[in-house]
Amino acid sequence: MFIRLVKESFLRNPRRKLLTGIAIVLGMTVATATFTVAVDVGDQLAREFRSFGANLLVTPRADTLPVEIGGVDYRPVSEGAYLSEADLPKLKTIFWRHNILGFSPFLDVPVGVTDYQHAPSGTNFSATLIGTWYKHPVSVEDGSTFITGASFTHPWWKIRGRWFADDSAECIVGASLAEKYGVRIGDLLKLSRQGSSDTKEFTVAGIVSTGDSEDDAILCPLSVAQDLAGKHGEFRSLFLSALTKPEDAFSRRNPNTMSPADFDRWYCTPYISSISRQIEEVFPDTQVRPIRRIADTEGRVLSHVSLLLWIVTIAALIAAALAVAATSATTAMERRSEMGLMKALGASNVLVGSLFLAEQILLGVVGGCIGFAIGAGLARELGETVFGFATSPRLSVLPVILAGAMLIVIIGSWIPLYRAAHLSPAPILRGE
Amino acid sequence: MFKRLLWHLLCGNKIRLMVALLALISGAAVISALMNLEFGVNRELAQEFRSLGANMVISALSEPADAGGTAAPLLIDVSVMQSLQVLQSSSVQAAPFLYLAARVNSTSNQNVVIAGTWLDRATQLFPWWQVTRGQSVSRADLTRCWIGRNVSRSLHLVVGSKLPIQYGTRTVDLTVAAIVDAGGPADNQVFVNLPVAQDLTGADGKAQFIELSVPGSTEDIRAVQNHLQSLLPGLSVKPIPQITEAEGSLLRRIRFLILSTGILILVLTALCILATMTALAMERRKDVGLMKALGGSMRKVLRIFFAEVGVLALVGGILGYGLGMILSFWMGQRVFGASIMPRWEVLPATVALMLLVTFAGALPLRFLGNIRPAVILRGD
Repeated sequence: MFIRLVKESFLRNPRRKLLTGIAIVLGMTVATATFTVAVDVGDQLAREFRSFGANLLVTPRADTLPVEIGGVDYRPVSEGAYLSEADLPKLKTIFWRHNILGFSPFLDVPVGVTDYQHAPSGTNFSATLIGTWYKHPVSVEDGSTFITGASFTHPWWKIRGRWFADDSAECIVGASLAEKYGVRIGDLLKLSRQGSSDTKEFTVAGIVSTGDSEDDAILCPLSVAQDLAGKHGEFRSLFLSALTKPEDAFSRRNPNTMSPADFDRWYCTPYISSISRQIEEVFPDTQVRPIRRIADTEGRVLSHVSLLLWIVTIAALIAAALAVAATSATTAMERRSEMGLMKALGASNVLVGSLFLAEQILLGVVGGCIGFAIGAGLARELGETVFGFATSPRLSVLPVILAGAMLIVIIGSWIPLYRAAHLSPAPILRGE
Repeated sequence: MFKRLLWHLLCGNKIRLMVALLALISGAAVISALMNLEFGVNRELAQEFRSLGANMVISALSEPADAGGTAAPLLIDVSVMQSLQVLQSSSVQAAPFLYLAARVNSTSNQNVVIAGTWLDRATQLFPWWQVTRGQSVSRADLTRCWIGRNVSRSLHLVVGSKLPIQYGTRTVDLTVAAIVDAGGPADNQVFVNLPVAQDLTGADGKAQFIELSVPGSTEDIRAVQNHLQSLLPGLSVKPIPQITEAEGSLLRRIRFLILSTGILILVLTALCILATMTALAMERRKDVGLMKALGGSMRKVLRIFFAEVGVLALVGGILGYGLGMILSFWMGQRVFGASIMPRWEVLPATVALMLLVTFAGALPLRFLGNIRPAVILRGD
């Protein structure tokens, strides 16, 4: 009987239900779309921030003071400490290995340039040769290969011509240096390490413009620079680009004084400090420091933007909830004469109330499901247009959305139903 | 008569009125807050990214070297800073730099990089620096310096230590005024005021380059670059690509994200209100029927109802605007720590939108004109 009444009510006057239904669908679409975007946007923005390049710098702990002006180390190769290239695959074995998006080792060698085509006779100037990787395969313990290099850690470098091929006797020349000395693509550069007489020839494959001191340097594959410096399998510093979670009050605490449970939580959260700690664990005798110019800004902007989106989302949710509640209140009020009739025919208040609530809840569930589907689609579209990455629909949101939809329609219809139930049927039926 | 009817309609059912008004106010509040935020958020976000520090550099144009030329850095006149004064008003920060590698005159005989700049500007240009345990140094102070964290460690220096520096035949005795934790290459450097570095190198009145921190979008930065380039024809004015390119693309994406979320919420909130107003209008069927039966022309009847929803929309829009301004002000305080000022142009936009939505919602009333009063009055 109860079910039949509900069914009849839906079939008899579908237009009445339609309005509440539409309001619920729309409200839940807002809820799902904004919620899904707000959840995913942090990860996506963090990934976008990696276009600023590396956010961690690994250097030997027992190093002498680098004589470094604008990123180029002017120390002679005999001075200071080095890191071992053989340790690099270990980076992909740490707890947060998947958050390490790229790294590139750097080795700076002061060299003298003695000859190249177009060179005025007797040319002899000194420059810095920087050995690094462009796109270098690193074989990881689990058998996979990880491709990394400057193209990941220094994505803003602009190259004219092409990059050097790893392990070949090719180089790329900084834009200012090339302009100053008239070096062109295809030239053969003769380089010698300062204080040594053996020269090595490099083909200029491209001209790089970085906006930094590399513009005055020569870049070549790491292995070739190691040969020239006589430092096989070694490098000076490692730039590392990692996906991190913005710092908060918890991550700023000193991990050494944390309780074991807190330490585990800190260790298993991709804070820049915990990733640094994990790198220091696999890389003995190193010092891992965040490049604060990038890391600080990233943390602040990320937390502010996601906070902003959350607040906007919550405001939108409240507005949608109020609109849905208002619609269901209005439709419930419309049904007063129907309720009066039922009561006149002897139905109890409880029966009438539960009948109408059942209708509203049914509407809430159906509308909530449709709204969830549309909202997930909208969020996907939004993610694709903003980040070129489709947000996946979160099924875990569905029960929350449904429960919210039901709660809102019940709250919305409660007061009108309550008032209607306490009126005597006669005036309602008379239409007053 | 018209006014009295309207008044009676509005007062007829307080609950119904409250319900519709509530939906309108909350919708208008969110919509106006979002619109206001959209105006304010661009400035705030651009400001956030200034924590990246310098994004433009002025240096000497590199000239082709003569045969056997050495790679001596080209210097520029510090007097160039004078012509940058015009930009100071637009919150552009600038400081000159002169680097040299000098020797520390102590037992260790270590080489160290000395950076000459304006120490009072450094923390504005490098906002991520943490200056620990130290005092600030005025621009004219020629005896005190700031040292990087690694310099302090490897040379065992603390605040107040003496640091004798030798470059060629010239020497200077410095006192450590502060230790800088910079999280970058500056950790390995000693910072002095520009005249100290000029005295050491003998390059009076010169600097290697000038770094600038220019706020604003990619277009703003380009405009400043072009302006400076025309002011300083002999020098090269270049953005720092690491900062400007990534900053520009991120700003664009964040703005687009907020804008598209805003539009999405705007449209859906408007539709929600539309559904509410339609429900309200449908309820009026009986009144329409009664009025028609009493001989009211359809036009007159409709005018009354449209006036009713119009009043609702007006009141809801204005109250919602007030609430929305408070909301966006609070958001600005909470998120950016800066107040986002209310904008008056948001008010007519909000009210117009509310009117549009309510009138669209009341449109089904028009179709009631085709229905005969008897049918409606019978309650079918």
